[in-house]
Amino acid sequence: MNDERREGSAVATDSAREYLTFTLGEEEYGIDILKVQEIRGYDAVTKIANSPDFIKGVINMRGIIVPIIDMRLKFHLGQVEYNEFTVVIILNISGRIVGLVVDGVSDVIALRGDQIRPAPEFGSVLDTAYIDGLATLDERMIIMVDIEKLMTSQEMGLVDQTHLAVA
Amino acid sequence: MSIDMSQFYQVFFEEAGENLAAMESLLLELDVEAPDLETLNAIFRAAHSIKGGAGTFGFSDMAEVTHVLETLLDRLRKQELAPTVEMVDAFLQAGDVLKSQLQAHQEGEEYEDSRVTEVCRHLERLARADNAEGDVPASSAGETQPAGTVEAESSVTHWRLAFEPAGIGQGTPDERRALFEALGELGRIQDIGTGETERCLWQLTSTAGRGAIEEILAFVCEPGQVEIDTIETLEAPAETEAETETAYGFFTDAPGLQGDAAFGEAASAPAPDQDELGYGFFEGAPGTEYGAEERTGASDSTPDQTQAFGFQAEILESDGYGFFRDAPGTEAAIDQEHSGYGLFGGSPGMDRVAAVAHQERLDDERGYGIFNSAPGSPESRLDDDASAPISTAASPAKSAMERESRAGNAPKRPATADSSIRVSVEKVDQLINLVGELVITHAMLADSAAGLDPVVHERIMAGLSNLERNSRDLQEAVMSIRMMPISFVFNRFPRVVRDTAASLGKRVTLKLIGEDTELDKGLIERLADPLNHLVRNSIDHGIERPEARLAAGKPETGEIVLRASHRGGSVVVEVSDDGAGLNREKLLAKAAKQGIPMPDNPSDKDVWQLIFHAGFSTAERVTDISGRGVGMDVVRRNIEDMNGRVEVDSTAGRGTHITIRLPLTLAILDGLSVRMGEEMFILPLTVIQESIQPRAEQFKTIVGKGRVVQINDEYLPLVSLHDVFSSGRPEPNLLDGILVIVETNEGRAAVLVDELVAQHQVVIKSLETNYRKVEGVSGATIMGDGRVALILDVDALVRLSRRAGG
Repeated sequence: MNDERREGSAVATDSAREYLTFTLGEEEYGIDILKVQEIRGYDAVTKIANSPDFIKGVINMRGIIVPIIDMRLKFHLGQVEYNEFTVVIILNISGRIVGLVVDGVSDVIALRGDQIRPAPEFGSVLDTAYIDGLATLDERMIIMVDIEKLMTSQEMGLVDQTHLAVA
Repeated sequence: MSIDMSQFYQVFFEEAGENLAAMESLLLELDVEAPDLETLNAIFRAAHSIKGGAGTFGFSDMAEVTHVLETLLDRLRKQELAPTVEMVDAFLQAGDVLKSQLQAHQEGEEYEDSRVTEVCRHLERLARADNAEGDVPASSAGETQPAGTVEAESSVTHWRLAFEPAGIGQGTPDERRALFEALGELGRIQDIGTGETERCLWQLTSTAGRGAIEEILAFVCEPGQVEIDTIETLEAPAETEAETETAYGFFTDAPGLQGDAAFGEAASAPAPDQDELGYGFFEGAPGTEYGAEERTGASDSTPDQTQAFGFQAEILESDGYGFFRDAPGTEAAIDQEHSGYGLFGGSPGMDRVAAVAHQERLDDERGYGIFNSAPGSPESRLDDDASAPISTAASPAKSAMERESRAGNAPKRPATADSSIRVSVEKVDQLINLVGELVITHAMLADSAAGLDPVVHERIMAGLSNLERNSRDLQEAVMSIRMMPISFVFNRFPRVVRDTAASLGKRVTLKLIGEDTELDKGLIERLADPLNHLVRNSIDHGIERPEARLAAGKPETGEIVLRASHRGGSVVVEVSDDGAGLNREKLLAKAAKQGIPMPDNPSDKDVWQLIFHAGFSTAERVTDISGRGVGMDVVRRNIEDMNGRVEVDSTAGRGTHITIRLPLTLAILDGLSVRMGEEMFILPLTVIQESIQPRAEQFKTIVGKGRVVQINDEYLPLVSLHDVFSSGRPEPNLLDGILVIVETNEGRAAVLVDELVAQHQVVIKSLETNYRKVEGVSGATIMGDGRVALILDVDALVRLSRRAGG
């Protein structure tokens, strides 16, 4: 499966890459679809003590223990009740499996490199280090996130390194 | 040989490693005063297997060392020499050299060290050292020989002297005769090659060593001018004089072999080969003489020189291991004498099976018996005397062989012993993981079926209970694959104790108890270092010098006991010595000096725990064995990493007793599930001491903050899971909860939980695979309902709680 996808994307590289878009409140985000392993509903999690609030806990995914991250909390978009539309995007980032809780998955889109524009600097108001750029599709603005960089970053504390809690 | 041997290297490494270990333990077992012939034979066989493998795979350096080793061993087992402590030491050193070589090869390097030649020389010297007991030895060899073969000449060596008379100033016949006679004083000397040629060839049959011969020669010439070679040191004893002479002539006439250093090797190498693995495995040349010659070295009575040379050449070429000379022929049957190797001998389909059989052998050392039922190899041929009806042509050869095999007395490896396979650990681990999943799946099924009416759904219920039983059996069976007897670690200790004690000038015996106790392979490997440290510590610090022991009214020889046993769901390994014990005052003084805080009136247990402090050593001087103060802390850390714990108990003057408690396996844990709020946690059973329903008056506070629980006159720190895991909810009434008393490395503590749920065997999963280490938690597991439960690490919990409280 993965190989097929990869081949497909290889053909598409010069023209376009595919992105999975999801919504968080009013905003729409896009991530590289090759990092996505599967999409599933939200299950009860097991909380982990003394972890940042955006880490909801861990779940059992067919015998694998997977940490679950609430992107709303991570991006400070306020708390939302989880409902039947709440989905978890399971990412596979260089062998590590992580789940993202998002409000909903909207689409798979193909974008060419020139369709993604650099995001403006927000200075200290907003850290744009993990934002690749902005894309426009049918009047919608999609925020392209470098999910790998974000997930392996120190502030996520997902990977064992000197953990710095996000203020 | 067109087969690429490198693919079998790993097998050789493993086999050789095992053989080395076996050899070492046998050597340590060997009672020098009263050597057991069987043990000597077993040592010889181990050495021989290594040599065979090393030769086959082209590790000639190892083959050389083992060859020398084997030469001496062969003389020992034939009782030509009596074993001495010096020899045992030399053997052990040789074993060490071989280990280093093996390791070097494993890493794809060559081992270069002066130790190699040193050890070889030492062994050679020992092998040559002739003792005067020439008459003792032959008995065992002699009795199996057909009548009339011999007068025993056990420790004689046949020397071949080659020189050019003119070159050494012995030009005239008279001068030559003088030298001849002088040498004759050493033993029997014969002129076997002097004639019209320029070269003189003498054979000296003597008990004297090379040194003695050289001494005599030194009167007339530079020893270097005379080539002195040993001929068939090993075979000599059993041969009749006549045979030997024939043999001798035969070899000396061999073109291109004269003066060749390989000569001695070529002639003697085949001899010891007979008892063991591999050599001459499938040979059995069309001509009957082949086998016979190889077996008996040079004693064949009807030497067909052309053939013999061919064979000899082949030997030189292939390092003396005639592996693939597989031809259907009757001689191959002779191989059968040797404990079932060469089972294929005489079988019509031999050529075809040979290659397969070779593979088989490489695959499994003990696989020889596999083709037992091959057509044409009747069971009876396995018998020692079975060769009688088979080999018609080479009766002297046969008789010599018979003697060999009897003297060698190679025990037959039972054909049933071949039922083991080597499997990579990953495969086993994968299997364990899958079974773990199965157990979880079953638990989920059982959970969802729990609501069903057992009468209506009788078949489902029956099926589920079958599934439960089967998956439990399966789990046990799979876990047992990883289980190994602890003797794998224990077996190294006789050596460790011997060496350490010797280097410290102490006398220590080691007693091993419960070596059959099984535990997880992963644990066994990780247990080796800590145990090694503890044992060396015991010898260095525990056991006193012999004088001191006598003065203290104890036997001169100290004793260290290593004991392993199953206790409950865990394995207990104890290291105890009858030495001086720990010195309380000294420990306390040292603690004060190093600024380690101690309570005013510390219990013995608190004091003993001091030895686990990093940098803590009470040894007055640092030896190369211990005393640097690194070690005990590492020991404790290693053991805690395995979810185990260490306890020390000591009585001054009586000894020290260290107890290591380990889980049976790293993959599965016996735990108690406890509930706190809505979350489930697993407490490892090994840490739980008791659980109690608290009463209000048991809870006390210290400066209004630090909370303790009074239990039987003892105040234990209270660890509330609610606090530590800041659940966010208000803490429920203390009296509604349950206190679980746990043992941590900082003493006992009381953990407050809402409820005890059940006891489980849980499959340990790492949180770190996809997340990171979480403080207070040693791992996670999946419960029957599919949810994740965290496994608590009580040591870390106590630390966390203290931080939260302070």
